[in-house]
Amino acid sequence: MKKKKYWYKLDNAGKIFPAVSKDDRSNVFRLSFYLNETIDPIILEDAVNKILPRFEPFAVQLKNGLFWNYFAFNERKVVVEPEPAQLCKYFKPDHNRGFLFKVYYLDNKITLETFHAITDGSGALHFLKSIVYHYFKLRGIKIDHEGKILSEKPMSKKESEDNFVTNYDKDKRRNLKEEKAYHLEGERFNHHWVLFVKAKVQSKDLIQLVKTKYQCTITQYMTAVLAYSIFKETVDFVGKKKPLKIFVPVNLRPYFDSVTLRNFSLYIKATYDSERTDWTFENMLELTKAQYKDQLDKDKLQSRISSLVGFEKNVFLRVMPLFLKTIAFKIGYKILGESISSTSISNLGLVDVPSGFKGLVTDIDFVNAGYGLAMTLISLEHQTNVILSTPLKDISIINHVISMFVKDGLDLVLDTNYKEGYDEIL
Amino acid sequence: MKYCKTCHVHYDTPIDHCILCNGELESEGSEVLTYKFSEMQKKPASRLFIRIFYFLNIVSVIVSLYLDFADGLPLEWSLIVSITNLYAIAMFITLTVPTIWTSKLTKSIILTVLSVILIGLSIRDYAWAIDIVFPFVVLSNILIITILILANKKKWFDYFSSLLVITIIGLIPGLLNLFRVTTLQWPSLICFAYSAFTLIGIFILPSKSSREEFKRRFHI
Repeated sequence: MKKKKYWYKLDNAGKIFPAVSKDDRSNVFRLSFYLNETIDPIILEDAVNKILPRFEPFAVQLKNGLFWNYFAFNERKVVVEPEPAQLCKYFKPDHNRGFLFKVYYLDNKITLETFHAITDGSGALHFLKSIVYHYFKLRGIKIDHEGKILSEKPMSKKESEDNFVTNYDKDKRRNLKEEKAYHLEGERFNHHWVLFVKAKVQSKDLIQLVKTKYQCTITQYMTAVLAYSIFKETVDFVGKKKPLKIFVPVNLRPYFDSVTLRNFSLYIKATYDSERTDWTFENMLELTKAQYKDQLDKDKLQSRISSLVGFEKNVFLRVMPLFLKTIAFKIGYKILGESISSTSISNLGLVDVPSGFKGLVTDIDFVNAGYGLAMTLISLEHQTNVILSTPLKDISIINHVISMFVKDGLDLVLDTNYKEGYDEIL
Repeated sequence: MKYCKTCHVHYDTPIDHCILCNGELESEGSEVLTYKFSEMQKKPASRLFIRIFYFLNIVSVIVSLYLDFADGLPLEWSLIVSITNLYAIAMFITLTVPTIWTSKLTKSIILTVLSVILIGLSIRDYAWAIDIVFPFVVLSNILIITILILANKKKWFDYFSSLLVITIIGLIPGLLNLFRVTTLQWPSLICFAYSAFTLIGIFILPSKSSREEFKRRFHI
């Protein structure tokens, strides 16, 4: 049975986002499905509001408590909007009927932009798949859900669980000291506009390349490509004391048998020394593989979960009033959060959709607009999309990444949100 | 599709030049390409007016204080101008930050009372502000929120924070009375009593839903 009123404490990953988000650091990520027909906004809105009560972690509004923010149920209706020109645009929930996600439409595209405080990529993907499925249903298109659409399955209490807390083990805590990382700097586009460059590649070609030529996974290959491109294309990295650190979010659900729709991912990182001047792509890849192997270990992941949850269990922090916590988070994030990562790569993998979607859903996007540069990967059927997004005007790193793909024999089709004439505006 | 013979990549975007090398793209076939994003429009610099507003108010504070100080007399009129300037900035921020209107109302009332007391202090005649304005303004705010809660019971938890904050502030006139800061006693006593009863009501008469609301608001 669906509860009418509920509330949640914010999870460990989500606690800091309300305090530190702003126009140029939105902490919003985007997922889009391209259909084979023009979207009808009335039907789309209907579809969203039909499934919303099934997705409790999404049907919430952010409230202020005396010590912590919390999520309270939100009984209002979602209003879908035309897609704006800015990707992953920062929005104030109070201007969005309290909701922490937005549903946009544009021609044949349905876009879900989600504030990271409520969920991560996996949770949002379940929600968007259900929206699209219901959109088709309301359009009169019958599709067998094949058990792949969450809204068609019975609701589980486990979907709203904070698995950071349930996997906390006091004895596994350790010190999480992080050194500062090299940062990509440069002139930014105006109006918080983010450049989007999508490289579409055949999944089988990419798999063939990484398996036969490099004996690694796709994410390891992409990490090394990005690291090598930064090493080659930046003039201030080598010799700087700060290492290059690429953060890669790991979906923790398979490791801890979780079905939660709330945040449950943790970063692992690939670190490259800036004092070394003889980096080659091959030795960067070898180092990447070793670091992945070392960090993708259940015990080590649980140890980091415990350390993070242990921090929020600190008595001094807990009794601090919310307005002081907000100030502390802002300062702490400025000093520690932003400075410990150079860039990020997020791979959502192959999207598991019902076979009835074939031909109806033609393409897919996943964008995580961070400062500097962000790479995201998502695959649908036989195609993998490698998406690079940046608020910086200098695209030499993107250029190098693409040229490395081409040199490795990948046949690329590019798409971008850039238009001729934008130099005048941006 | 289009093709860049320098970068060896295809495009399915209707642009004429490669974004990587700026070379001219070659057309491949007769397929009509569509732009898949909303078009960016030139935006006016809306924050410029806000910055000018802040700037002028701050200039006004500095100039008034300087002129008054230069006269060699105790500061008086310049403090009134400065308090009004800062009040204007604070009110602007309060009213433009998106939140529910009861919260805006409560914050505005707190700011207004504070400004009025400060003006009273600056002219060395604050009794009217503390004795009359403070208790009556707070009283009316508590009354408005109480009526709102009774009229819209379903949404009472939206007004909960504002009610709690303003009732606690409503106890202050009583304390001022106790320490003989006020001269006229009855408005402060009424305000104190009304706030105290409201506060006791919040804690003593909780329904199941209000107990839940306490749990949410005060969870550590």
